[in-house]
Amino acid sequence: MMEKKEIGTREISTVPAIELEGVSKSFRLYHDVNYSLKEKVINWRKRGYETFWALRDIDLTVYRGETLSVIGPNGSGKSTMLRLMTRIMRPNQGHIKVNGSIAALLELGAGFHPDLTGRENIYLNASILGFKKAEVDEIIGEIIAFSELGPFIDNQVKNYSSGMYVRLGFSVAINVNPDILLIDEVLAVGDEAFQAKCLDRISRLQQAGKTIVLVTHNADMAASVSDRILWLEKGGIKMLGDPVEVTEAYHQAMQVQLEGSEFGTRDIVIESVELLNSRGEQALEYRTGEPMLLRLHYRAARPVEDPIFGFGFYNQMGFMVYGTNTRLRGVNIPEVKGEGTVEFRLESLNMLDGIYYLSVAAHTRDGLTNYHWLDKMYSFEMVSAGKESGYLTMDCDIIHHPGRALTSRGGT
Amino acid sequence: MKEKLSNLFAYRELLTGLTRKEIKVKYKNSFLGFLWSMINPLMMLVVFYVAFGVIFRLRGEGVNYYAFFLMAGILPWNLLSTALISSIGSVVNNADLVKKVYFPREVLPLSYLGSAAFHFLLQELVLIVFMLAFRVPLTPWILAFPLLMLLQLVFVAGLSLLLSAVNVFFRDVMHFTEIFLLAWFWMTPIIYPVSMIQNNLPAWAVRIYMLNPMAHIILMWQRIVYNSPVNAPGNAYFSLEGFIGTVIFSICLLLLGYYAFCRWEGRFAEFI
Repeated sequence: MMEKKEIGTREISTVPAIELEGVSKSFRLYHDVNYSLKEKVINWRKRGYETFWALRDIDLTVYRGETLSVIGPNGSGKSTMLRLMTRIMRPNQGHIKVNGSIAALLELGAGFHPDLTGRENIYLNASILGFKKAEVDEIIGEIIAFSELGPFIDNQVKNYSSGMYVRLGFSVAINVNPDILLIDEVLAVGDEAFQAKCLDRISRLQQAGKTIVLVTHNADMAASVSDRILWLEKGGIKMLGDPVEVTEAYHQAMQVQLEGSEFGTRDIVIESVELLNSRGEQALEYRTGEPMLLRLHYRAARPVEDPIFGFGFYNQMGFMVYGTNTRLRGVNIPEVKGEGTVEFRLESLNMLDGIYYLSVAAHTRDGLTNYHWLDKMYSFEMVSAGKESGYLTMDCDIIHHPGRALTSRGGT
Repeated sequence: MKEKLSNLFAYRELLTGLTRKEIKVKYKNSFLGFLWSMINPLMMLVVFYVAFGVIFRLRGEGVNYYAFFLMAGILPWNLLSTALISSIGSVVNNADLVKKVYFPREVLPLSYLGSAAFHFLLQELVLIVFMLAFRVPLTPWILAFPLLMLLQLVFVAGLSLLLSAVNVFFRDVMHFTEIFLLAWFWMTPIIYPVSMIQNNLPAWAVRIYMLNPMAHIILMWQRIVYNSPVNAPGNAYFSLEGFIGTVIFSICLLLLGYYAFCRWEGRFAEFI
């Protein structure tokens, strides 16, 4: 019983790796924790806590070989779920069954002892993760190589930089070769090269048929690596299924949470902003590749010398996708006084599907003083044909040459 | 319970690994290193020897080689007190581990016990070498060393598991134990021979005194390490029922401690 996955060559089995049956977990939120006996006795009759359900009645099966990402806003129960899976905590109700060895990357380098060397800590850390010395002996070379620590491996860990610390922790956890790997938000650490290496290692683990459960805030990263996405909200399953569908729904639900703001000295006031499509009509929906005309109408009560006008597009996670201003484009405005308009003519909007936010601003040339900054006060939607994924469109032709291996010019 | 035990067995390398770490780290960065393990009891010995052997003249009680008598009792006592003090806080002090990684939590208190036991063995070795150097011969009783050591480890392990688990919920346990150990020390025949109690207290008080399981364990230590023929063997008091009671009590304590620990372990991560 194998079910074929659409993209890639991996096959997900229907054998369960982790099964959650009616799992609930509650915490007691103490008003003031009675850590000492005296307080406990004094407050004997007072029920000094409220029950908070971190997870409620969760049924979930993670199949062997699949990569499941868990997304959700803060406090939705993501980390609690991971902790229950690793047996760090026990559920109040329900059962959890785990088939196979499990390693958790909940915090890298948890359990490192500062006075021991990197090498000694590898053994210690691996044994905390439940692996034997003999097993570590076989892969210690690989762990050290992956961590890129080189000769520092025989230095005491307390002399490591935080980056080295994390690299060592990740190397141990990812190289001990568990059947099931649980990862909690740890990919956000390390420099880009190391992150790329980690993602590469994750895809190799996927190819090797390992089960991976990944908790993250970054829904787009989740969509790119996983087979299914679980969206948790307030301790319950909001949605579970296809990465693209869940991510889209998630983004839509999250978008209201981006709040615009406005600030500045108001020497120049941006009174209104117009977004116009190719027909010159105000529009809030654009197809990918369509032009846009962006108009800023301003008013300056007193003359202002050498102002800079600019704008930026932001995606739903608040990252700037594109932005420019009159200084960067070499457009000099010696002085403004009274009313006026600045037009930005965009030949082609290259962003893919999604909601985008617009910030506009007028500020001094050095950027130290803002006359008026409208931060993400406007939004518009991009619609694309769905032939690509990611953030931007690019011209891409695909040609298939069967039967012969092409070589690059100058190649052999 | 059976499942828990097999799980603990699966993690035995973690237990030895943590114990080794504890031993290694204790004297890391100190110039004298392992020697501290021996200097510490030697200093104690000198202080008590001067106080009780010279000033109060316990020699009158028929204790020859007072220093060796003292050492025979004080080393196992140190095993108890250092293991207890360090293991009671073990779960709380390793909060980041307990919150972030799963492993059988009992390895935490047990690894401190293991480290204390290692230092104890070193110290006993030094004691025996000193005794031989002073021409105090050993008796065949010394062969019971491993058995008695096992008994004491069972006793201390039970107590450590129980108290370290309770300490997660009530941090008073730590402070209470420190004070209690002080009182317990004087209620145990370590610096004075048990005959002093027997000769000076009424029978009912002696009976209560002998309810202390540590008294029987220490008496046994004095018998097997110190009680050589030159040291007036009659001094080595031994009560069979008391000793058997101690064995049974220790085993029950270990079962209780382990049961309680496993029972509460699932809530540790929330409380620390």
